[in-house]
Amino acid sequence: MELLLPLLAATLIGAGVFLVLSRALIRLILGLSLISYGANLSILLAGAGVARDAPPLLDLAGPHNDPLPQALILTAIVIGFGTTALLLVLAVRAYQATGTDHVQELVERPDPMEPPEVFADPEHPSVSPEIGPAREGPR
Amino acid sequence: MNPERLLLLTVLVPLFSAALAPFLGGGLRARAGWLLAAAFAPGIGLLALAPQARQGRPVEAALAWVPSIDLELAFRADGFSLMFALITSAVGFLILLYAASYLGPGERHGRFYSHLLLFGSAMLGLVLADNLVALLVFWELTSISSFLLIGFWGSRKPSQDGALKALVITALGGLALLAAVVLLALAGGSGRLSGLDAEVLRSSPVFVPAVVLLVIAAFAKSAQVPFHLWLPTAMEAPTPVSAYLHSATMVKAGVVLIAKFGFLLQGTPFTTIILFFGLATLFWGGYLALRQDDLKALLAYSTVSQLGLMMALYGSGHAFAATVHLVNHAAFKAALFLVVGIVDHKAGSRSISALGGLARRLPVTAALAIPAALSMAALPPFGGFISKELFYEGMLHEGLVPIVLALTGSILTFAYSLRFLTVFFGPYRCQNPNVHEARFPFWLPLTPLVAAVLAFGLVPWQDTVAGWFTGLAAPSLGYQGAPLALWHGPSLTLALSVLTWLLGLALFSICAPFNRLQRALTPPWNVNTLYYGSLEALERLAQGVTALTQGASFATHLRFIWLAVAFIGASVLWRFLPVGVEPVPLEVSAVALLILGGVAGVLAAQTRLSALIFTSLAGFGSTLIFVVLRAPDLALTQLLIETVTVILFLSVFRFLPLLTRYSRSRAVAGLDAVIATAVAATVFTLLVAVQTPVAPRIRDFFLENSLPLGGGKNVVNVILVDFRGYDTLGEITVLGIVAVTVIALLRLRAGGKPTVEGSGREDRETT
Repeated sequence: MELLLPLLAATLIGAGVFLVLSRALIRLILGLSLISYGANLSILLAGAGVARDAPPLLDLAGPHNDPLPQALILTAIVIGFGTTALLLVLAVRAYQATGTDHVQELVERPDPMEPPEVFADPEHPSVSPEIGPAREGPR
Repeated sequence: MNPERLLLLTVLVPLFSAALAPFLGGGLRARAGWLLAAAFAPGIGLLALAPQARQGRPVEAALAWVPSIDLELAFRADGFSLMFALITSAVGFLILLYAASYLGPGERHGRFYSHLLLFGSAMLGLVLADNLVALLVFWELTSISSFLLIGFWGSRKPSQDGALKALVITALGGLALLAAVVLLALAGGSGRLSGLDAEVLRSSPVFVPAVVLLVIAAFAKSAQVPFHLWLPTAMEAPTPVSAYLHSATMVKAGVVLIAKFGFLLQGTPFTTIILFFGLATLFWGGYLALRQDDLKALLAYSTVSQLGLMMALYGSGHAFAATVHLVNHAAFKAALFLVVGIVDHKAGSRSISALGGLARRLPVTAALAIPAALSMAALPPFGGFISKELFYEGMLHEGLVPIVLALTGSILTFAYSLRFLTVFFGPYRCQNPNVHEARFPFWLPLTPLVAAVLAFGLVPWQDTVAGWFTGLAAPSLGYQGAPLALWHGPSLTLALSVLTWLLGLALFSICAPFNRLQRALTPPWNVNTLYYGSLEALERLAQGVTALTQGASFATHLRFIWLAVAFIGASVLWRFLPVGVEPVPLEVSAVALLILGGVAGVLAAQTRLSALIFTSLAGFGSTLIFVVLRAPDLALTQLLIETVTVILFLSVFRFLPLLTRYSRSRAVAGLDAVIATAVAATVFTLLVAVQTPVAPRIRDFFLENSLPLGGGKNVVNVILVDFRGYDTLGEITVLGIVAVTVIALLRLRAGGKPTVEGSGREDRETT
């Protein structure tokens, strides 16, 4: 059993969590980066610990390291980059549209999908008084 | 052509034409309607099956749908279904011809025709379906296409409101039908309408709930009180749609449902319930129709009222009278809607108070409107008179209250029918000085409808079109088609008719003061306020539940999630702690120091540049870890990605504000630190626990097969492009989508609000 690398992964993730809970968008994005470093390291450690065998290149003499976690992590690194890029551009757009990078303020902006205030129904109380031959009648 | 194939084509040809319509609509614009009308040719060709249906020998056809669960798309053209399918096809044919003149040059023609044909197909499927599941699917399809068509001018708020309301209410009915269909199929022992056994069903414990649900579905679809509120709102649709869906066909689906399931209802108290709901709808629809100023709204409430009449007749078992009126109503109401479309088009208004004397400028339209409106008013010699007589005859059997309600409803009908015609008579009044008659392709589609109105009244004999048509449904609904006639000799029903005309005329003459009285009597609430109120309440409830379960703020929401991670992890993992500590290679300790320094730096960073640098320090540190842990591919990838990420961050910093230190209060920061530590502790425990292998490794499979199966010596690469190739394909797709999204978002900048603050601060920071 080995303790330093698990500690390292745990620290990365813990620091990432702390940053994600912050209020500034940039910190949130950087926090997610830290979490993904920690997660990648965790996958590599899981089930193996510190690998002392040769890299999974068949040209080298065995025994070799487990190649599967490495393949999984490779995918994760690339996808992580995609996530970061998208988040960054979203942050830029959100800041341009709202003038704030405060996470909570962004959340509390009013929903652009408001319910319609104009009603189609001729019998709706908000519509009725304006229409009909009884327009001039008592209300 | 063999009958089975014709039956299938009736439903399928409009469906495929709907797929074709967008292309035709793009090229031919509005004129595509003339071509697409041919999609209803197989439906009109169903006439060929009529002799067979009259003898009570329905044609059946089925397509395999989901063979593994014995589900098939079964159609059955019995007399009643055939009759309604003929109406749907014929009116659909005329509506498409009409739409070619109605739609302006700037509309989205392809979309309009496509949705209209989709509806046509769904409606034909609905009436012809024998399989209960198919019935439900087509029923829902009519709701959806109705939603799309009402919202055709979707940029307008009233259209959105109308489309949503129609969907919410008819979809509620659809849910009820779903439950009803399941119960009926289970209790009746057959998934086919024609296979249901009334005796078995009535003795089943689920009979009452099933029928209640069925009736709710029918009421919601056919706009019976208290579900009537969606139909007038649906008038936001283009007028051809209102004529087709919301008067002649779709809204009758509920009535059709009650007619088809009528064999279950006979002799149960449900007949009385449906009778009174129908009569209440007849009265209330007429009462509201009388005070409308918009011609289309008047027709909409009139449709509500007339649907009530049909519902009352089918519900109480007077299927013959109901069928006669159903046919009459389809003809005169579709014609009246199309008249309104022409008036709206030419005069630029649908307001009764703003229009008058149009007969002089629109002589053909007026000549077509008058028979249709008088048929609605139930005057001889038009078809409406005959069905109103039959209606009175039926209600006389039901007792005093029904006949009084029927009489009142009919008086209101008479009065609003005359009010409809006032736009054509009297002194000329119109905002638009240049009103002139429509060209003939516009009014031509009305002529067959008006001809039907006249034929139903003038030649109602058994061997002519009217008698033939209603006789068609006789075997399937189990009535004896009595001879139709204008003159039965002096009778109680005739006296009631004369009374209707006299009182209706009197009501019409005091229409204006009566409208004022109606207005004065209007309470401040109605079903509409209930509808909007409950929508609001639902929204508030959803917001409340969300606030309660997902935290009032974004950060709180996250805190709950992280806490859950920490607690669940820790509560399970402490049992798996192994013992014994191995020494760490020296190089690992050095790299670990680098990463820990990076982490500490990010946490303490005051500027975004330093935060970025410290983060990438941790990132490059993980690159080194990968080297140490003998994962060269990972190290290379991480190095590359880390570099690109830093460039990306630096390039967008120009558009972002400085790293503001939104101060967390000491307590909140402490809480966050505790949460972060708890999560870290869980991760640590987890990693320590899983270092002992628990399952046989699959490592050897990949190492052994990489070269023979994948042809590569770099096993990681072979896994990515070969063993898990589809996964990599998915990953590439994700990246492609991200790239497109990023470009789209950045493009938006041009239209958005450009802020220069970010770039200004950036200069100060870097210098």
